[in-house]
Amino acid sequence: MDERVAVIGAGSWGTTLARVVTSAGRPALLYSRRQDLCDEINSTHTNSAYLPDIHLPACLEATADLERVARESSLILFVVPSHGFRDTARELGNYLTGEHVVVHATKGIEQATHRRMSEVLREETCLRKIGVLSGPNLARELAAGQPTGTLVASSYDEVFRRSHAVLNTDYFRVYGGRDVIGAEVGGAFKNIVALAAGVAAGLGLGENTKALLLTRGLSEMARFGVAMGGELMTFGGMAGIGDLIATCSSRLSRNQQVGERLARGESLADIQGEMRMVAEGVKTARAVHEFAREKGLDLPIVAAVHRLLHEGGDVPTLLRDLMSIPTGAEFVALAP
Amino acid sequence: MRQEDRERATIEAATRVVDRLVVRAKTPEDLEVALSDTLYHERRRLERERSSRPRTRSDQAFYHDMQRRLRHASAADLRRALDEVARRFAREIVGSFDDRVYRLSTTVVPTGLSLLLGATTPTKLRSLSGLRRGLSDHLELQGALESVRRLEKLGTLIVVPTHSSHLDSLVMGYAIHLMGLPPLLYGAGLNLFENPLMSFFMNNLGAYRVDRKKQSALYKEVLKEYATVALEFGYHNLFFPGGTRSRSGAVERHLKRGLLGTGLAAFINNLRAGREKPRLYVAPCTISYKLVLEAETLIDDHLKEVGKSRYIIEDDEFSHPRKILRFFSDLVSLDAKVVLTFSRPLDLFGNPVDDDGNSLDPRGRHVAPESYVLQEGEPRHDRQRDGQYTNELASAVARSFVTDNVIMSTHVVGLALMGLLARANPGMDEYRLLRTGGIAPSFTHAEVSEEISRIIAGVRSLTDRPRLAPDLEHEPAAVLDDALEAYGCYHARRAAVRRGDRIFHEDRNLLLYYGNRLRGYDLGRRLQH
Repeated sequence: MDERVAVIGAGSWGTTLARVVTSAGRPALLYSRRQDLCDEINSTHTNSAYLPDIHLPACLEATADLERVARESSLILFVVPSHGFRDTARELGNYLTGEHVVVHATKGIEQATHRRMSEVLREETCLRKIGVLSGPNLARELAAGQPTGTLVASSYDEVFRRSHAVLNTDYFRVYGGRDVIGAEVGGAFKNIVALAAGVAAGLGLGENTKALLLTRGLSEMARFGVAMGGELMTFGGMAGIGDLIATCSSRLSRNQQVGERLARGESLADIQGEMRMVAEGVKTARAVHEFAREKGLDLPIVAAVHRLLHEGGDVPTLLRDLMSIPTGAEFVALAP
Repeated sequence: MRQEDRERATIEAATRVVDRLVVRAKTPEDLEVALSDTLYHERRRLERERSSRPRTRSDQAFYHDMQRRLRHASAADLRRALDEVARRFAREIVGSFDDRVYRLSTTVVPTGLSLLLGATTPTKLRSLSGLRRGLSDHLELQGALESVRRLEKLGTLIVVPTHSSHLDSLVMGYAIHLMGLPPLLYGAGLNLFENPLMSFFMNNLGAYRVDRKKQSALYKEVLKEYATVALEFGYHNLFFPGGTRSRSGAVERHLKRGLLGTGLAAFINNLRAGREKPRLYVAPCTISYKLVLEAETLIDDHLKEVGKSRYIIEDDEFSHPRKILRFFSDLVSLDAKVVLTFSRPLDLFGNPVDDDGNSLDPRGRHVAPESYVLQEGEPRHDRQRDGQYTNELASAVARSFVTDNVIMSTHVVGLALMGLLARANPGMDEYRLLRTGGIAPSFTHAEVSEEISRIIAGVRSLTDRPRLAPDLEHEPAAVLDDALEAYGCYHARRAAVRRGDRIFHEDRNLLLYYGNRLRGYDLGRRLQH
């Protein structure tokens, strides 16, 4: 039998990826810290908390034993929210060897350190063969088997080869690249734009507005990404504009929802208190904003969203901020 | 390298390279292309060389004959020809020197150095041991010495020092002896063998020959393969990963991957062959000089060639043995220190290694280096992957250089004067400033001292900071005096001099050169505030 692919993190995205693996013909081992969740997955083949109404195949087994994960699988998909990422990585690091390949699918930047997730993996483990999976991948749509694509980026071609072999199916098209930084920045940054797009939607603004926000958001994303060391072209791809369009168009996006609810007058604290899942954009806005300030980068959309979320701003101010961003040559700022 | 290994290594290196070419070649034409490329580069090289040298004449005859024979060559002929050329390259690289000299090297080297010192300080000639102390007084060894000593017994060492002077190889040779390690193999430029004095040391230190004028891919492959084979045979190696002496004076941050990658190739070959001690350890090492013999030509070269890379320096100070002697004598009389710092050894993947030879992950947990090269349970080569591993190693080595670089008074004062000069001439571009000296020919003693303390404080506040030489603990005025004395000691023109209460910058290129040792540390912004 083919080697099992492990997925760490049994939230909606992790469970979905495990399911993709099984539909590509491989058995999957899904890790969750919670024994009760593992029991549910193993006995009723459901994950009712995170992926209701989706049936999970029998060759998808859940476990709460991290050591077993590392022992039984040399290819691991790491799908842990950014706030728990470092701790889980450190714990997993107890069991890893240089042979392991770890592809993370977490879109965010570590708040305290401004590190990208691949950097956290590097700091906490012996790993070298690290990759990132990012693209227009709304978990619910993918779990329902609707077609989409993604990017697996790694400096090591082996990481792409092996990920492609276990993930590429007729409904999930896996592309490869070497720009890890670009892929990670794209995945983290789009959440900030999605938040702003959510506010616009909540205010009843139409498609023109959204397109304006997306386009200028993409430009800011690319500027930031290139400053971090990413490649410009990555932002025109799956992990850049691809992800941005999906996230900003979907009612399913958590970041959009936060924006919409803010526009309706709810407070950030209330919204976050109610949400079961994490809206990465809230944290990413802070990390990106601080980083940009350190580096002297001008990112007006990020600054405006940051003001709304973390500096006691309100929705009318956000709108005013956004619409008073100076205009000039459209592309001049893109040059690295 | 021992005589019995010498012939084996020559054949092994040449055969491996040609075998690889044959495997990669899809058609006989590919072999022809490889051979033609080599012949083309060799002919061009020979056209540029003086034909009176016996080596050049022999090469000319060899390639002329080969050209003639290849007119109607079959695939087998091509392969034979490639093999012949590859072996010719390999034989030159391996070199031929007296085996007895090699076996004596551990005693000959220190004595040789002592004699060298003796020639410069006749008063001390009476006692050899006293002379030896003369040099060890000026060479300070620090850092992970014990660790390197222990690892030498557990596997094969690759020592990778910073490179700022041709003296580096002598200093390394002597340091290796003081540490009680066996001689290291290393590749030295062919031109260095033409200087009888250097040649003596080169051979004794186990040097093999690198001809930087040979540009063909085949030559470079044979060279790398020879290094790989030597490592597999268990010979410790020394590479200068910067590829060439630092022209600017700054510590190398971009390292050449070519030779660095041979360690990994050797490791995988060792595992595949089931060799007894398969592991290799990389020992980064920074050599810090208060004064660099070739500073003037290096910085000139840097200023001319910024943005380009240039690896061949035809005529430099080392064609003049007398100049080396003078440097040694000045070194001894001035009490100018050379500090050699061994950084913590690394494995081939950039992980630190403990004294028992275990690789450690960033949290200090053991990791088996063998696991990095497994594919389906077997150790295998993978060009793309291995290239990335070597990148990781290169970054780790570069980080060691950054933090184990030792800053001395000459560096701080160089940077201080250049900083003051730039501020006194706002908006003037660097080249003009260097040429003309701008509008301020001198600064007060107090101004310079103030700038020195700012720089030292700035360095102390850095996260990734270099080491500071102990005498930088002194008052800034003393640091300044120390540097001025050093500047006056060796260089034809003093970098700066004191007249009354003022410090005059005389050779700004030299000041730039010494100050550059602190380049790349993100000091600029700290000093502005």
